[in-house]
Amino acid sequence: MKKIKKSGKLVVGMSADYPPLEFTKNVNGKNKYVGVDVELAKQIAKDLGVKLEIKNMDFDSLLVALETGKIDMIISGMTPTAERKKSIDFSKIYYAEKSDYFVISKTNKAKYTSTASFKGKTVGAQTGSLQYTSLKKNAAKSGIKVKGLAKISNLLMALKSGKVDAVLLGELNAKTYATNDTSLSLVKSSLSQAQMGNAVGVAKGQGDLVKAINKTINDCQKQDLFNKKYIPAAAKAMKQASSKTNNSMSKYASYFATGLGYTMIITICSITIGLALGVIFALMRLSKNKLLHAIAVCYIEFLRGTPQMVQIMFVYFGVGMLIKNMPALAAGIIAIGLNSGAYVAEDIRSGINSVAKGQTEAARSLGLSQAKTYRYVVFPQALKNIWPALGNEFITLTKDSSLVSVIGVGELMYETGLVQTATYRGVMPLFITMCIYFVVTFILTRLLNYFERRMNLTSSRA
Amino acid sequence: MNKIIEVKHLKKNYGDKEVLKDINAVIEKGKVITVIGPSGSGKSTFLRCLNLLEKPTSGQVTFEGTELTDLTEEELDQLRQKMGMVFQSFNLFPNMSVIENVKLVPMKVKGMSDQEAGDLAHELLAKVGLDDFADHSPASLSGGQQQRVAIARALAMQPDMMLFDEPTSALDPEMVGEVLKTMQDLAQTGMTMVVVTHEMGFARKVADEVWFMADGYLLEQGSPDQVFDHPQSDRAKDFLAKILEA
Ligand SMILES: Nc1ncnc2c1ncn2[C@@H]1O[C@H](COP(=O)(O)OP(=O)(O)OP(=O)(O)O)[C@@H](O)[C@H]1O
Ligand SMILES: [Mg+2]
Repeated sequence: MKKIKKSGKLVVGMSADYPPLEFTKNVNGKNKYVGVDVELAKQIAKDLGVKLEIKNMDFDSLLVALETGKIDMIISGMTPTAERKKSIDFSKIYYAEKSDYFVISKTNKAKYTSTASFKGKTVGAQTGSLQYTSLKKNAAKSGIKVKGLAKISNLLMALKSGKVDAVLLGELNAKTYATNDTSLSLVKSSLSQAQMGNAVGVAKGQGDLVKAINKTINDCQKQDLFNKKYIPAAAKAMKQASSKTNNSMSKYASYFATGLGYTMIITICSITIGLALGVIFALMRLSKNKLLHAIAVCYIEFLRGTPQMVQIMFVYFGVGMLIKNMPALAAGIIAIGLNSGAYVAEDIRSGINSVAKGQTEAARSLGLSQAKTYRYVVFPQALKNIWPALGNEFITLTKDSSLVSVIGVGELMYETGLVQTATYRGVMPLFITMCIYFVVTFILTRLLNYFERRMNLTSSRA
Repeated sequence: MNKIIEVKHLKKNYGDKEVLKDINAVIEKGKVITVIGPSGSGKSTFLRCLNLLEKPTSGQVTFEGTELTDLTEEELDQLRQKMGMVFQSFNLFPNMSVIENVKLVPMKVKGMSDQEAGDLAHELLAKVGLDDFADHSPASLSGGQQQRVAIARALAMQPDMMLFDEPTSALDPEMVGEVLKTMQDLAQTGMTMVVVTHEMGFARKVADEVWFMADGYLLEQGSPDQVFDHPQSDRAKDFLAKILEA
C-alpha cells in the first residue's frame, strides 16, 4: 500500500483475453484495455489517488508476478480458491457467475445437449482457470478428455479446426463469445463446482490494501455499477471490437509494426550481448587456466542444456526478485543474450579448433607472439568457419525472440496475440506474423551470405 | 670453434614415454648438419626442442650464448626469429597471398614499412624462383613451390640458422629436386642448417656432419663418409643397410 502510494502508480496484472471482463480494443491503431475488471481497476486506482498501469500476461503467470512484486494486484476474473489462498490474499467477491458453459459449434447443436454427451470427447479450457481445474477433477467421472491452452482465442481456434469438441468457459465469457460469433452455441455445464465468483488478488500480508479494495467494491455494488455500467460498457466495446470493419488486418498494421520494432530491438541487443559473451567464454574455454576453463564449460553446458523458455521466465521472475523493477524487455534481452552467448562460444571455439595445428606452430616458429598468432593467422581462418555458424545462430535468435512474449514483452508474437483477441480471428494474424518473420530472416540470410562471399573472395584471390 | 648451439643432457618425455634420452651435441656456425634415423626415433622432437616449440623435460639448450630453457615466452618469441623453421607440411597461411606470407613477420614483428618488407619479400621470392607468383594464393601453388615459399618466409626473419623437418617428405618425387636445390643454394651462402631428412643422397652430398638418431639417442655424429661408410653402431648399420638396398 505504502509502495503504491509512494510510486503514485498502481500496477494491475490481468490476462486481457477474457471478454467481457478484460480484453483489448483497437482505438485509432492503439491498443486499449477494456472490460469490467478494467473499470474496477480504474475505480480502485481513483479511490487510492494513484495512476493505473495495466500489465497484460498469461493467466498462469499472474500469481508468480504478484508474488515476485512485478504487479501490485490481480484483477483478472480470478476466483479465490483455497489453493490460491495459500499463496496470496483476496478481497471480497466483486462479481459472481452462476455456472459454466460448454461452447460448441452450432452445427453440433443436436449432438451435444448435456454434460453427459461430452463423454469421451475432448474439451478445452484455459490453463490455470477454474474451468480447467473442474474439468480435470471430474475427468474420471465424466469421461471427458481435457486439453489446456493458455489463451481463449487459441481455444476457440482449436474448436473451429476440430482439435477440441467444446470449450468450457465461465458464464460471462461464454455468453459474450456466443453473442459475438453466431457460429457458436452454448450448453450449460452441470459438473462445475460451486461458483465462488471473482475477487481481487493481492500479495500476502497487506490488510490495509485489501480493506481499501473492499471499500471500493462495496461502493460499486451499492450503486450496482457492475450491472448498470460496467457490463453494458464492456459489451458495447466487444461489439465494436468484433464488428466487421474492425476485423480488417490493415487496421492493426501498427500492432505488427510495434511488435516488429520490439522484435528487432530484442534481436539486435541480444546478439550484441551474445557475441560479447561468446568471445569471452570461447577464450575462457580454450584457456589453459583450469578454473576459467571449468567456469566456461559449466556455463555453456548449462545454458545449452536447459530450455530457453524456462531461462526467460527464470531471469524475469527469479532474478527479478533480486533486482526490483527490472522491465520485462530488459529481462528478455538478458535471457536471450545469455543463452546466445553459450551457442556463440561453441561456434567460435569449434571454428578456432578447426584451424590446423601446423598453422599455429608455423606462426610461433616465425617469432609471432601468441596474441599475434591469433590475430593474423588463427582468427582470420577461424572466422571463415565461424561465420556461417554465427549466421545460423542469428537467424535462430531472431525467431526465438518470440519466446519472450511469455513474460509480456510487446514483441511481434505478443502483439499477434493482441490482434487475435481484438479481432476474434485466429489464423490471419498468425499468417501475417509468419510472413513478417520470414521476410526478416530472409533479408538477414541474404546479408550474411553476401558477407560470407566477400570474405571468401578476399582470402582466395589467385 | 664458433658454436651457435650447444645441447646438454637434453631429455624430453611425453607422459611416461621417454622420447629423447640424454642428447649432447654442438653445432658450429655455418655448418650444415643432416639428421637421419628411423621413424619415431625422436628427430622431429629434437628439432622442436632447439627452438623451444617443445619444452624440454630437462637439460639445456644454449643458443648464441643464451640459455633458452629458462626464458620467458616474450624472450623466446625474440629468439625464435633467429631460427627459421621449415615443416614437412609447408604450413603456409592460406588466408594470405604468397607475398603476404613472406611480408608478415618483417611488418608485424620487425616493424618494417610495407615498402621495405615488400622489397625484401620480392628479393627472397626471386631467390627461390617464385617472384612471378607473389600475388597468388598458396593453395594455387604446387607442393614444391609452396615449400620454397615457406623457405623464403622463414628467411624473411633474417635468421642466423635454419631448421628443416623433412622438407621434401610430403612432395611428389618430381618436385623434390627443386626444393633440395634451393636448400643447397642456401647452404652455399654459409647459413647454419639442421636438416632432418630421408634423402640420403642430399644428406651425404651437402652435409658437413651427419647425425644418426635412434630410440631417443644421438648414436653417431661424424662426417658423411664416416657415418655412411663406417657406421659404428649396429642400429646405424641396420638402418643404412635397409635404406640403401631399397
Ligand atoms: N605430442 C606428442 N605426444 C605424445 N607423444 C609424442 C608427441 N609427439 C611425438 N610423440 C612420440 O614421440 C616419438 C618420437 O616422435 P618424433 O616425431 O620426434 O619422431 P621422428 O623421428 O621425427 O619420426 P618420423 O621420421 O616419423 O617423423 C614417437 O614415438 C611419437 O609417437
Ligand atoms: Mg618427424
